[in-house]
Amino acid sequence: MSYESPIRDQLVTGGKTYHDVSSDITRPLENAPTKSWWFGFSISSIVLAIWIGTTTYTMLVGIGAWGLNKTVGWAFDITNFVFWIGIGHAGTLISAVLLLFRQKWRMSINRSAEAMTIFAVVCAASFILSHMGRPWVAYWPIPLPNAFGTLWVNFNSPLVWDVFAISTYFTVSLIFWYCGLIPDIATVRDRAKTKMRKFWYGFFAMGWTGSTRTWHRYEVISLILAGISTPLVLSVHSIVSMDFATSLVPGWHTTIFPPYFVAGAIFSGFGMVLTLLVVAREVMGYKNYITTEHLDAMAKIVMVTGTMVGLAYITEFFVAAYSGMEYEQYAFFNRAFGPYWWAYWTMMSCNLLAPQVFWSRWARTTPWFLFIMSIIVNIGMWFERFVIIVTSLHRDFLPSSWTMYTPTLIEVSILIGSFGLFFFLFFLFIKFLPSINMAEIKSIMHVGSDDDHTHHTEHHDKPVTEKGAVHGV
Amino acid sequence: MESDKLLILGIYDNPDKTYTATKKLIAGGYEIFDVYSPFAIHGLDRVMGIKRTRLSIAAFVFAMTGLSLALIFMIYTSYFDWQINVGGKPSLHIPTYIPITFELGILFTAIGMVTCFFIVNRMFWGKNADIMDIRVTDDLFVVAVDVKKSKADIGMLNQMLIDNGAIEVRERIKEV
Repeated sequence: MSYESPIRDQLVTGGKTYHDVSSDITRPLENAPTKSWWFGFSISSIVLAIWIGTTTYTMLVGIGAWGLNKTVGWAFDITNFVFWIGIGHAGTLISAVLLLFRQKWRMSINRSAEAMTIFAVVCAASFILSHMGRPWVAYWPIPLPNAFGTLWVNFNSPLVWDVFAISTYFTVSLIFWYCGLIPDIATVRDRAKTKMRKFWYGFFAMGWTGSTRTWHRYEVISLILAGISTPLVLSVHSIVSMDFATSLVPGWHTTIFPPYFVAGAIFSGFGMVLTLLVVAREVMGYKNYITTEHLDAMAKIVMVTGTMVGLAYITEFFVAAYSGMEYEQYAFFNRAFGPYWWAYWTMMSCNLLAPQVFWSRWARTTPWFLFIMSIIVNIGMWFERFVIIVTSLHRDFLPSSWTMYTPTLIEVSILIGSFGLFFFLFFLFIKFLPSINMAEIKSIMHVGSDDDHTHHTEHHDKPVTEKGAVHGV
Repeated sequence: MESDKLLILGIYDNPDKTYTATKKLIAGGYEIFDVYSPFAIHGLDRVMGIKRTRLSIAAFVFAMTGLSLALIFMIYTSYFDWQINVGGKPSLHIPTYIPITFELGILFTAIGMVTCFFIVNRMFWGKNADIMDIRVTDDLFVVAVDVKKSKADIGMLNQMLIDNGAIEVRERIKEV
């Protein structure tokens, strides 16, 4: 008697053939958009219009349109920037880190998660541009020979590092995403019935033929791109955290910021992936590709990273107490029990306490519950950045300058509007590009395969458990 | 054209059959022109004797180029060309250059390696794909045997392809 343990359940259910995969996944591309697509697209276009209007207003009037003051010089703008950059991290984590760890469940979610990364970075960059106040001089942090006697940028400044980190991150994510798309674009090209589709998908497929020689090189570059994206994703949020950590402001000047920010980024990113995929699998009919096992795996990551972030919150308090430095101690006391206590406790309960429900399998596999949890995670992570930025600044070194910060309607509208920008791009993506990586999905299916490692019921006369394990082989 | 290749295509519907067929053909001394598949079949490249691509070496070279250019540039601008006094901090301070050096190393690797990938595969935007079968990007697998190089008897080759599970065998002239 032996027990062959299943590594994971079947990743694609419903007994699909390769051809079924192609037709299922290209369905939204080849047919007129559904009502639910139009509904979502219209709503996000309206919200996008709010973003365009309020961002334009800010650029015309200046950042006096915002509630910033001389004590709180960063608030909603940088909170939103860090929030969106964090969201982006899950995409790279899924496609790069999980590729290196050979986690095959990533395959049906990596495409949309990578798209999410790119759109989230676009949102984040928009906040960087608008917070400058004069976006037309946004090229100033780029080291260009200039009219001031070749006065270069200060390479010791983390803000300059950030410019390089974010632009590299965006470029590399885009390249990685496009490379992954090429075989699938070719599939759409070869199925295309209209001239337009034949031309455009043919144009971007770059003459892909599916040759084994090409596949061989393709596998190598995918692996290397994953290998370089993994440290890249860690470095990007580390550098974002250094925008704070290298300052002298109590509450920011903390050595645990880089790992703490990276864990938070992955946490919030997976929150957003869950929000999108729980809806997408329902609306697009991808339940056989994004199964409850995928949701389960993602929920586990949410719980682990949420707990890591919670540990960081507590560590910060401990270090502040242990340091014996009263300014540091006061900054943290003020965070939890000062005028912004409600923001702090929202963050604590959404990020540390709420994800603990994922110890239960029911919570990890029930879509509607996961959807609610993902929203809670997103709210919590937005508040984390708000807490770090505003509560550290609002009571600064001079008690005579202590003040409160209240956002204006413009700031709140820009935040809401940025979701419009994000979802507008996302809806275009699911209409025009295959939102699940068909080539990778096909490679993990076992259609009539003789592979010894598959757990097909027909291959065994012994009972097969619900989870795919085979007893007594 | 004289250099046109006569290919015999064995069309399969299963990656395992494709794999074994390719293996047997090679053992039988046939020259495989290429195998086309909707996804990468693991191990097939090794069976076909494809040498490991040197793209990883290219990636390393690009990484080193990016790293050194970034360092040289930062040292030149902030020390040799125009020093800035920021709170009396040193103008030449290598540790603070590490983040940008790292980022540019990654950027150069990604762009350079992927560009090389497109060049070696002769892929570019708008290229017309010379596909063996319209369904090869969907659910079919094509083993293309070079008749001339294999010095093969077409009848025997056809039989061998079918014996190994081909659902269809077809001739094809490939312009080179």
